[in-house]
Amino acid sequence: MTFFLQYAWLIPALPLLGFALITFTPLRQSKPASTWTATGLMLAATLVAIGLLAAVAGASHAVVEGEGFTFPAPAVVQRFAWAPAGSSTFSMGVYIDSPVAVMLAMVTITATCIHLFSIGYMASNPRQSRFFSFISLFTSAMLLMTMADNLLLFFMAWEIMGLCSYLLIGFLYERPQAYRAAVKAFITTRIGDVLMMVGLVYLWTQAGSLALGTGEGEIFNPEFLKRIGSEPGMLGMSHASGIALLLFCGTIGKSAQFPLHVWLPDAMEGPTPVSALIHAATMVAAGVFLVARTYPIFLADNGTALTVVRFIGAFTALFAATIAVAQYDIKRILAYSTLSQLGFMVAALGIGGWVAGMFHLLTHAFFKALLFLGSGAVIHAMEGTVAIEKLHHRDEYAAQQTAQDIRNMGGLRTKLPWTFWTYSIGYLALAGIVPFAGFWSKDEILAHAMEDGNFVVYGVLTLAAFLTAFYMTRQWLLVFFGAFRGEKPVVFVNTEPHPVGHDDHLGHDDHPGHANHADAHAAHSPWHESPTMTAALVVLASFALTAGLFNLPFHNIPGSFWLARLWGQEVAEINWLVAGISLLVAGSGIAAGWLAYRSAFAAAQDTDPLDARVPGMFRLLNEKYRIDELYAASFGRLTAILTLAWAVLDSLLLDGIVDGVGKLTLFISRVNFIIDDTLLNDGPDALASGTNAVGRQARRLQTGKAQDYVAYVFAGALALAMLYLYVIKK
Amino acid sequence: MPAYLMSSPDGVPWLTLLLLSPLLGMALVGLAGALRWDDRLVKIGVAAWMGLPIAIAAVVAAGFSPAATADGQGVVQFAEKIAWITAIRVDYFLGVDGLSLPMVLLTVVMAPLAVAASWGVTERVKTHFALLLLLEAAMIGYFVALNFFFFFIFWEFSLVPAFFIIQLWGRENRRYAAFKFFIYTMAGSVGLLLLFQVLYLATRNVGAPTFDLISLGRLGQGLAVEGTTGTLREIIYSYMTKIGVVRMLGANGPYPLLYTSIAFWAIFVAFAIKLAVWPFHTWLPDAYSQAPVGGSIMLSAVMSKMGAYGMLRILLPLVPDAAHAFAPVMGALALVGIVAGSFGALANVGGDIKRLIAYTSINHMGYVMLAIAAAAAGQVGVSQDSRAIAINGALMQMVAHGLSTGALFYLAGAMHKRTGSWELSGLGGLRTVAPTFAGVMGVAMFANLGLPGLAGFVGEFFIFRGAWATLPLFTNLAVIGLIITALALLLMYQRIFLGPTGEAAHGFADLRPAELWATVPFLAILLVLGVYPYPIMNLFNAAALQMVAVFQRVL
Repeated sequence: MTFFLQYAWLIPALPLLGFALITFTPLRQSKPASTWTATGLMLAATLVAIGLLAAVAGASHAVVEGEGFTFPAPAVVQRFAWAPAGSSTFSMGVYIDSPVAVMLAMVTITATCIHLFSIGYMASNPRQSRFFSFISLFTSAMLLMTMADNLLLFFMAWEIMGLCSYLLIGFLYERPQAYRAAVKAFITTRIGDVLMMVGLVYLWTQAGSLALGTGEGEIFNPEFLKRIGSEPGMLGMSHASGIALLLFCGTIGKSAQFPLHVWLPDAMEGPTPVSALIHAATMVAAGVFLVARTYPIFLADNGTALTVVRFIGAFTALFAATIAVAQYDIKRILAYSTLSQLGFMVAALGIGGWVAGMFHLLTHAFFKALLFLGSGAVIHAMEGTVAIEKLHHRDEYAAQQTAQDIRNMGGLRTKLPWTFWTYSIGYLALAGIVPFAGFWSKDEILAHAMEDGNFVVYGVLTLAAFLTAFYMTRQWLLVFFGAFRGEKPVVFVNTEPHPVGHDDHLGHDDHPGHANHADAHAAHSPWHESPTMTAALVVLASFALTAGLFNLPFHNIPGSFWLARLWGQEVAEINWLVAGISLLVAGSGIAAGWLAYRSAFAAAQDTDPLDARVPGMFRLLNEKYRIDELYAASFGRLTAILTLAWAVLDSLLLDGIVDGVGKLTLFISRVNFIIDDTLLNDGPDALASGTNAVGRQARRLQTGKAQDYVAYVFAGALALAMLYLYVIKK
Repeated sequence: MPAYLMSSPDGVPWLTLLLLSPLLGMALVGLAGALRWDDRLVKIGVAAWMGLPIAIAAVVAAGFSPAATADGQGVVQFAEKIAWITAIRVDYFLGVDGLSLPMVLLTVVMAPLAVAASWGVTERVKTHFALLLLLEAAMIGYFVALNFFFFFIFWEFSLVPAFFIIQLWGRENRRYAAFKFFIYTMAGSVGLLLLFQVLYLATRNVGAPTFDLISLGRLGQGLAVEGTTGTLREIIYSYMTKIGVVRMLGANGPYPLLYTSIAFWAIFVAFAIKLAVWPFHTWLPDAYSQAPVGGSIMLSAVMSKMGAYGMLRILLPLVPDAAHAFAPVMGALALVGIVAGSFGALANVGGDIKRLIAYTSINHMGYVMLAIAAAAAGQVGVSQDSRAIAINGALMQMVAHGLSTGALFYLAGAMHKRTGSWELSGLGGLRTVAPTFAGVMGVAMFANLGLPGLAGFVGEFFIFRGAWATLPLFTNLAVIGLIITALALLLMYQRIFLGPTGEAAHGFADLRPAELWATVPFLAILLVLGVYPYPIMNLFNAAALQMVAVFQRVL
């Protein structure tokens, strides 16, 4: 067991090795070699992570009776000197405690499934090796962040994840939509990140280090927390509030909370496994993990920070859920759903439900990864259908977007049975139906809100839960039930320039068994499910079904509260009232969805029932409250104006002064020259002609190149110096 | 020698050898010229010769003990001090400490990249390469000279080869750029030159005339120097009293500070121009963009650091009280430069790639300026560590910026070789035809915008950490630069490499092995220092910590 504790660093190191091998060795030439190397190393990391979890869980855990949050004691801490910082030294290393062990297991399992899925899914992409190199680097960074012993290392890994997110959103970089989304994601999250960095700087200044832990000089030291909680800092807040809010800015960016949520839906331009891994299960949840990891600081102040956290989370949960209702793109629905669920987690942390938030983070990772991969399998199949196949030859981007439109699907239940059943499990987990994973974790959040008297948060989240059940039912029905509508699809209108003609090997992705000829395709059915992809779905589905068992809220069932005990936190027993209401809400959401959509969309071109009933509202939601447009018109334009203003200032004013001074000097010297020439020149002329004669002799030495003169002078001076120093003087 | 000076442990004058090695190379180029050797041979020869300064610098770095401090300062090591012009007390005085050694290493490492970038030069090849060697020698000399006389000679002298490199091999607007660059720097340093005349007279007045930068720095910081008593401020004031200036201006009020303030501005302007601190930065985009690529590399990677080094070597030690008083002003200029540089880069996203990189340099040097201001600012109670961290960050940023900007300029040059244009418009989709090029440029770009894991981040983070303690408002606002520069660089990258393959992609070759191996070492260093900065930061930490101690004492 100590092996796993001692060598925990292998967990991020193995995928990093995968990245290095695929990127820098000839391995990259071969698709099977690179994909299986990455997947194999990922699997090895998973085994180490599970071993580590077993080792950490092996220690006994008592139920904590006290109220409130206690930072878990570490199982192992390894540090080395990283950089000198004045009279002290900045150390880095790994810090493993029970929440970290659980996170590592979750991340590695999800990542392995997604690696496995991508072997089939990305098979037709000519850049599959590069894809695996990027997701390996990403996974490594996520794992490193999780086990970081200090917030700087945490932040560094966090930024590397941002880089991988940028690279993978823009993986199909030929598409303007893809690279624009990538830049948008990087810059939007960077706004949060730089503020988080300021928070780190602030914290380091106050604490003298950024090391996690409760010891002397570490950031959760009780005396230190008490001090920053009471001392006034900036803007009338305590230091703790200031630091916590700045750190939370990082969460807002990374976890795509309002108002920095705009990047995540656009991030769906990346290949679907990326959406599953980065933009659903792990990286976006890292923002939540940040708050969970620095929770003592949030608790140290008088509640200001947590109030902000609570309201941002609850607002995002509801706000994103409303948008999801009116989307047609299967991935965007899931993306807004992710925003909404992240809002649940953030809100949970905001109301003090640390275990509930972390629990939801874990269950959500499994079922949302499952849903994304399921949607990938659906899109994968859709792209092989005849109508879209044809479109693909003209405009592959439009083809992909058309393939993602749920209006063009229907009846896939029988065509893709494995996908259907696993997707249904994910759907029920997300909708919050007992006994699927999502029910338990979401219910724990709601129960916490109710019991703590946060009725506003409770109400908002319940409403969001209703909408969740509703929009997922809509999606589930439109995708899997009714008749297949894909023969006459609603075709996506691509307003961007795109390569004309059949451009098969550039930016061609998400496309299975695409033969060179459409004719050769006639006999080939798109409705098949690849074994590696199905395997990944089944593993994730089993977790989506059972992950609730990790923290069952019953005192009389053995094994209950496993996570809470493992993490050393107080346990929260089931609140039957809340559970009942939750089930009722989820059930009515499903019922409403069923009533509205059971017979909607006979053809893909039909109007959405909601659109028919409340067209203005539907349009507003469909256009995402026009927030992107608002940002473009405000921040976008402001940036453009400032850019222009600085350019003008530079070239006209500052350079004008510099050039003006130069011209003035020239003018003065010209005046001076005229005076010299007329008044003072005649006398010395005779002397000058004498000098000239000497000069004519000396000129032979000269080559006429100014740089030679300079060199002679300099070399001569130095030679004389040397002669003097080392010969004459000694 | 006093305890704070330590000569070469094995008695070999390594620094003199280091200084002479590029000059000897230059002489060999001249010999090759006389023998009418092939240009190609000269190129290879110069590239190989560049290994010699690196080897000598490596010996110096290996023999350097970073933790050594004595009498309130980092020990100046490998010191060579020989009387030169006894009449005016000029010594031939070389030495390195924690502040200068990283700069020396940066210089010798970057010079080969400039040579690689100049490989395509076809006109007057030998002269070009001789000038590069001369420039390298002048820069090394500047960083190791510890007597003002030599310091200033090297300072001015470095302009000469740089001027000719721009003037003779530059782009269409080279004359304007070369003159602006030369005259601006030259004019800016007049004050510095005059100031040291006054300092000489002032120290002569108390019986110990000197041009010795270390002694003057010690006097400025109130540390003991053999043969003198009192601080530099008192020495200047008594001299001003003696020659009657004080009587003329009146002796009331903060008058000793008045004279150190005048000294401060004389020093500051000279170095601020070199560092391209706003509003003294307008020569930089012209010089960087008009110079040939090799020149751009030397200018951006090393020469701009001469300004920052001058501030650390002269400005902060000699007039700490005035530096403290004007620290908010320096900080404000730094902030404006950070923001102006980033927006300037953004303004060039559709234009000239070299101007874009030049503006990001202004932005990055703004952080260095902010750190220097922060080290001097704030209350006495602010922890010494914060100030030292700021200086550490500044030095780290200088090294990292040199490496990443050098690589970016090199790659921009490689691009120009293929497309024949510096314009960012009309490109796109090159990643498909040149994946390695795209990858290498991507790493250089992310290093430049401060991605963690690469050295630039360490510098920026330490600067923010150090500056937060003393200049929190400016530090907060400086994050705008982090966002906007990132945006500018990402858009630059997008315009070159992303999107559908267009016209420009036809015949655009991927990076050749020689080009790849010219850049890989720099990216590798950036990666190593970004992941594990201890070795380099350890070089300057002790010296920085000692240097900032003065801001805990005087004032």
